Amino acid sequence: MKRTTLSKWSGLIVALILLASSLLSGCQQEKVLKIGFITEQTGVDAYVGPASVPALQDRIDEINAKGGIGGYKLQLIVYDTRSEVTDAVAVTKRLIDQDKVVAIIGPSWSAAAIPIADIVDAAKVPAIATTASNVNVTVKEDGTLHPYMFRVCFIDPYQGYAQADFAYNKLGLRKAALLTDVASPYTVGLHQFFENHFKELGGEIVAKEGYTQGDTEFRAQLAKIKDSGADLLVMDAYTYKDVGLAAQQAEALGLDIQIMAGDGVFVPELLEMAGPQLEGAIVTTGVSEESPEFAEFNAAFEAKHGVKANIYTYYGLDALMAIEYAIGEAAKKGPVTPTAVRDALETMKDVQLFTSVVTMEPDTHNPHNKPLLIMTIKNGKWELLETFQPQ
Amino acid sequence: MELFIQQLVSGISIGAIYSLLAVGYALVYSVYNFTNWAFDAFMAFGAFIAFTSISSLFLPFWAAGAISIVLTIILAVSAEKLAYSPLRARKAPRLFMMISAMGVNLAIVNIINLIYGGTFRKFPVDALQPIFIGNVSIGRTDLVAGGISFVVLALLWAFLYRTRWGLGVRASSIDILTASLMGINNNGVAIVVFTLTGILSSVAGIFYGIKYAVYPMMGMVTIKAMIASIVGGLGSLPAAIVGSMILGILETMVSGYISSTYRDLFSFLFLIVILLFFPNGLMGKSVEEKL
Repeated sequence: MKRTTLSKWSGLIVALILLASSLLSGCQQEKVLKIGFITEQTGVDAYVGPASVPALQDRIDEINAKGGIGGYKLQLIVYDTRSEVTDAVAVTKRLIDQDKVVAIIGPSWSAAAIPIADIVDAAKVPAIATTASNVNVTVKEDGTLHPYMFRVCFIDPYQGYAQADFAYNKLGLRKAALLTDVASPYTVGLHQFFENHFKELGGEIVAKEGYTQGDTEFRAQLAKIKDSGADLLVMDAYTYKDVGLAAQQAEALGLDIQIMAGDGVFVPELLEMAGPQLEGAIVTTGVSEESPEFAEFNAAFEAKHGVKANIYTYYGLDALMAIEYAIGEAAKKGPVTPTAVRDALETMKDVQLFTSVVTMEPDTHNPHNKPLLIMTIKNGKWELLETFQPQ
Repeated sequence: MELFIQQLVSGISIGAIYSLLAVGYALVYSVYNFTNWAFDAFMAFGAFIAFTSISSLFLPFWAAGAISIVLTIILAVSAEKLAYSPLRARKAPRLFMMISAMGVNLAIVNIINLIYGGTFRKFPVDALQPIFIGNVSIGRTDLVAGGISFVVLALLWAFLYRTRWGLGVRASSIDILTASLMGINNNGVAIVVFTLTGILSSVAGIFYGIKYAVYPMMGMVTIKAMIASIVGGLGSLPAAIVGSMILGILETMVSGYISSTYRDLFSFLFLIVILLFFPNGLMGKSVEEKL
């Protein structure tokens, strides 16, 4: 008997709460746009998410505190990809179907960005890849554009080209060995363009070795590279662990060689892992945590969140600021829909983002003329050698 | 020739790490007939405990190792008491045991990830310089790790074959039900087996951490060890070691002389061929001679 009374009461309370909440939402009428962010919070690349999510949330809070953009408040919805392509695809679908986001930030790697490009095209929701630099992220194999996929980093050919150019012309190296993560489109893409340009210049590729992500043992490959007489080891790994371990094992094998890597490994953790072994190594990247322009941001970010900012933080902010711009432009013309945001992103011209001023190339959806930095490790610290600008 | 010897040395040192892990798999499999997927979480746990003991508590290496072994034993025995033994008591199918083990594994790895984050850390001991014989480098860390692995495995063998408790474990591995009818304490055997598992995974985790790096997903290597123990002959300790050495050397030789890109393809194709001819593994024995 007592039980029935209780359930009656609770039923009444629930009904009242529902009524109250529907009345409240009726009078507020606040317009909210949801922005999705898919990032790596667990799994092998779990160093990406924790350094990006707080930065993006801070920026969103700031915008909302100032009244939003074009009459809209923003809401960030973050999902973990677990560093797996299947999960990245699943959470993208969830952002589109359930959360009805207006735009998506991420993912950070090409193997996930390529399948996601097809999904966002079909759903007509724009996505901005942060550090996915394979050509086919925004342009399909047959050369046609993915209309809803964009990116804020430079593309592989550009970085591979620059590495070959720098190694041949500036360092005077002629015999290169490639150590490639064969399961990563990022590494494979970079090495293809490195090889083409290095050969074009007159250099020789004396060893081509491979491994797959998750491997920790490189001595077999390094022993062969030592045997090949190479004077340059190009290892554009996606994960800094690979380069750190290879550098340690190269030293253990007595292999004294110039190491060169791409922006995938440009994180402070690499120095803690294998700083001494990587002294003098060359790493190409789009932005640098060491640049004085970011010093103030870095200090404030670490003090507030207890995490060091890294390039994934900066590129994540680049993507968010591009979306802010696009929402503002779209709002001037009418209701902000995913398609309106896409149109504004495509025609973006000379817009100041976090790392640089960006103009979007309408035919490739890549940022035009994004500067590339040639970094080195000196006394266990990152140091800028020079800035490389495309012709 | 120099290249060949270098590859052989690397292969043996990889095989030594696989051995410790493969023996751990073989031990649990031979007694309980299920694959303890939580093994890789125990390994990462052992490595992180030693890592923290040195980097945060500033303990010497031997003390950190001892703490790591003790805590990993506690973890392994707790997993047995909380996740496996209740299932066995209810006569759950073996598949459920494996799924339970996967759950334990995911839970521990994710907790480690929450506490430490996903970064790759250098184990805080000074790297030992390798010894060079001609142009061939032999890692001093490998020698130490190999030596300690050998001692641990020898002690394990002595325990199993020279003590009453060892006899109990061996009897249980043949038929756990009959063994308990003969008066062997089932719960005691379970504690012994998981204590040994804890020791092996902690030692393997520490050496893997020193040789490579300490990170939550470091246990992924145990899949190789499991394959090694299958190829050797599941459930047999010497077979697990032989299988590990074969896999370690095979991988390096395939990388060195066939193709590093297709290393896993060729290595595992070869292993499939072995299993086609020796379905019980190379040294697979009949039930009476398990362990």
